[in-house]
This record gives sequence, C-alpha cells and structure tokens, in this order.
Amino acid sequence: MHSVVLESVTKRFRHRPALFNWMGRERTGETCALENLSLSVPAGKVLVLLGPNGSGKTTTLKLISTMLLPDAGRVLVEGANTLKETDSVRRHVGFAVSTERSFFPRLSARENLEFFATLDDVSRSHRAQKVDEVLALTGLTESADTLVMKFSSGMYQRLGMARALIKKPSVILLDEPTRSLDPGSAVHFWELVRGLSTQGSTVILATHNFNEGVAVGDLVAVLYRGVLTGLRQLASTGVDELRSFYFRSTGELQEVPEMAVRSVS
Amino acid sequence: MNLSSLCDKLAAILRRDLLTAIRYRTGFMLAATGALAELAAFYYLSRAIGPGFRPEGMGYFPFLLVGTGFYTFLVMGVHSFLAAVQEAQQNGTLEVLMTTSTPPPVLVFLSAISAFAGNTVNLVFYLVVGLLVFDAPLRPNLAGCIVIFALSMAIAIAIGIFAAAVQLATQKGSAVVWALGSGAWFLTGTMFPVAALPKTLRYLSGLIPITHSLDGMRLALLQDVPFPVLAHEILILALFSIVLLPSSLAIFSYTLRRARLQGTLSFY
Repeated sequence: MHSVVLESVTKRFRHRPALFNWMGRERTGETCALENLSLSVPAGKVLVLLGPNGSGKTTTLKLISTMLLPDAGRVLVEGANTLKETDSVRRHVGFAVSTERSFFPRLSARENLEFFATLDDVSRSHRAQKVDEVLALTGLTESADTLVMKFSSGMYQRLGMARALIKKPSVILLDEPTRSLDPGSAVHFWELVRGLSTQGSTVILATHNFNEGVAVGDLVAVLYRGVLTGLRQLASTGVDELRSFYFRSTGELQEVPEMAVRSVS
Repeated sequence: MNLSSLCDKLAAILRRDLLTAIRYRTGFMLAATGALAELAAFYYLSRAIGPGFRPEGMGYFPFLLVGTGFYTFLVMGVHSFLAAVQEAQQNGTLEVLMTTSTPPPVLVFLSAISAFAGNTVNLVFYLVVGLLVFDAPLRPNLAGCIVIFALSMAIAIAIGIFAAAVQLATQKGSAVVWALGSGAWFLTGTMFPVAALPKTLRYLSGLIPITHSLDGMRLALLQDVPFPVLAHEILILALFSIVLLPSSLAIFSYTLRRARLQGTLSFY
C-alpha cells in the first residue's frame, strides 16, 4: 500500500513579465520545476528527497500538500486525488513549513497551535492536550507562552514541526526541517521522525544534509532540474555511499571545482 | 462541516483577531481619537452651514453621522476581506491556511465575519458618541434597521470576496476598495444628498448598492419610516445580494484554483 503516489507529474512556472519590460530585464518564458515525475512512497516509510537548489524538492512537497496543483499527471495521497479531492487530502497531510513568515507574530506559540488545531478539526476536548503534547515533543514547552515574533529561527522550525503534527496526519512533509537547528536538537529531531515512522506515519523529507538522510531515511530519491535521476533503498547505507550516489545521480561532480571535489571525497 | 465546528472556527478566528488587535496597544487609542476628531469636524461643519440646510428632511449632522458612519462600516467591511488575504500573503500564512482541513472559501468568510464584528464595534461607538456627545436625534425603526443592515452586510461581503479574488489574480485587490472608497463615494450620497448630482450621475448612483444602503439606513434610523416606505430600498438591496454573493464566490474559487496552478498563491 502506497500513501503517496505521483504519476507522470509535470509542473511548470510561467514568467509573465511586466507591461513595460523594456525598463527592466525581467525574465520571460517558463521554468520546468518538475518533468514527468513518477514516485511512490509506501505507507510508514521515510522518503528523503535530495537535490541541488531549484531541483524541484519543495515543489514536490507543495504538490502533495495541495498548495500547488499539477499541470499534467496526478498526485494521490492515501488514494485521494489532489486535484479533485482536496479536502480529503488536506485531512491526511501535515506540512512543516518552518519559515518565520508562516505564523501569526503577535500570538504565542500555544495560541498559534490552538488556532491551527481548530482549523484542522482537532476536537475541542482534546485540543489543549494535543497542543501540550506537540509542544513537549518539539521541545517548546518552556516557550509556549512567548509571542512567536520573539522566536529564533530554530524555534520557528520546531513550531512548524509542532503545527504539522497536531492533527496527527498520516503523511508528514518536512522541508529542510533541521536547517536552523543546533546539532543536539537535530539528533533529537531525527529520533522524533523515526518514531513517527514507527507509529505508521509516512514522512517525506527534503534536505541537503547527507547525515540526516542516512539517519532517518528508508528510501532516497534524487531530483536534478525537475527530473528524478536516482532512487534507492537506504537500509545500512553509510554517509559516504549516499554522497557518492547523490553525485553520480546528479552528475554535479564534474561541474564542481577540483578543491571542492577533494573536500567531499 | 457542521454548525458546531463552524462556530468553533469562528470563535478561534475572533480570538486571534482580538488578541492581535489588543497587542497593538496604540492602535485602539488612535482609532478612537480619530473617530472623535471626525465627529467633531462634522458637528462644527453642520453648525457652520446652519440649520436651514435639511437634506431629505433631516438635520445635516445626523445625515452626516449615518452617512459617513455606515459608509465607512461597509467600505471597511469590503477592505477586511482584502486585508485578510493580503496580510496572509505578506505574513506567509496564506499557503499554510489553505492546506488546513477548513475549505478556503469558509476560511475567508469566517475571517471577514470577524473583521465585520470589529467594524460593528467601531460603528456602534461612532453612533453612540454622535448621539450622546453631539446630541444627534435618532428615531429608529429597529426592525427596518436590522433588515437594511443585514442586506448591506451581505452585499459588502460579496464585494469583499470579489476584492479578495482580484487580489489573488492580480495582487492588486486594492483597486476594488479604491473604486468604492475614492472613485464612487461622492456618488453614494455619503456627505450630501444624491439629488444634488446631475441626472447622469444620479443614474450611476442608483447602480451602486451602497447608495441604497445609506438611503435605507437613514430612513430607518432617523425617520422611523414604516416597512412599506422602506420596501423599495429593501427590494433593491435583496436583488443585489442574490446576484453578487454567488457570483463573487464562484469568481473567488476560480481565481484560487488558478493561483494554485500558476504557483502565485503567496505573491503580493
């Protein structure tokens, strides 16, 4: 049984220049963010998405979450089509968007979580308990009543994770979840992700961090310029092996200068 | 979605907006001071013009009080839809809100009801201060006021949803609010009677629903006219509501889907 299925998905973004483009040099044409991507994620597994900047990782997550709709192909989440059964998809998906610009700055962490929990249909009787649970899981209990505009980047990331977990989704999407975390918190976070998978949740995690990929992943998919260039199991794979698989899949190694090649090998 | 869940969500949105508003501490004081200054200006303007000027048979100060108070309420109501979408785009919450289990049209609708609640408080404050401090005579037909108020609000909601759709499609929903706030206000009889306009503009004025809202509200609130006299304005407002509400919802759903396809949901 697959929780998430992408079938021949293509996503393009058109660049529509301003009326008086001769005054500036705005880009025209279109960017192909994803090209004919087919990928399935089995239930309860952690898929790690690797790829350089602009390879289509975030676009893939946004397509699964219904933030974006595909131009061609289809995306299924727990059997529901994101184009036709959006409400059903949203009930299943939790997306950890962790940028500072995704919370209400003059509400506390607890108030933000209570607000999103209500919109996500968490029952009133369980809401306070669920909020306390996810605050504890993400290490935010002490900062629960601080206005989020006073949060650091790392705290925003934890809060983003807490928000994604509050409705107990069966599919969890994580976009570079440990980018701003200190090493100790990152390790704690990896344990949390493994725990979610053990409890049956499907996790899709976009990252640039090979250590993170090896620590949490069951599968790894490599995207390069919107195309799936590598897919493999991660069981008992080491960091060096994953790094080598990544560079083979992207073909990037030939493009990096010699000094950088020496440092990665 | 059942009624209990809907009320629960509305309460959450009201709480969010109230908490945000009171945490901008000076905002409250500035708004209250601004309203008092405006009322004082209108009061002395009407005194300067003198008691001989009685538009539509009523004193000029109560004419201004209801006209500007209700007009501001409706335009701010329209603006609140736009602000709900604009703020969510600017603070980055729009994409996240659109992936919760609450359908987007419901979310926008509830957000706007919350904003209308805030505007209603402002309107009541404005009218009560005008009544008590500046001694404006009110003779209300309460039931008539409620009907005119409800229909006017439905129309403002429809125009507000349309403004939100324009914001999603072009990132310039403020054009709709500008058209109402600056482009059309002089046609609606806010500060002087429509009868003072030339014939062509009077015709245009009749096509703007707010003109009928102000006429109806003045008749109901200041002159205690019975329902048969109000029927004309009520019928026009009801027709506007029936046409505008479903069409604006359809336009909003279309632009939202288009923004998801083009990836422009969070553009501003």
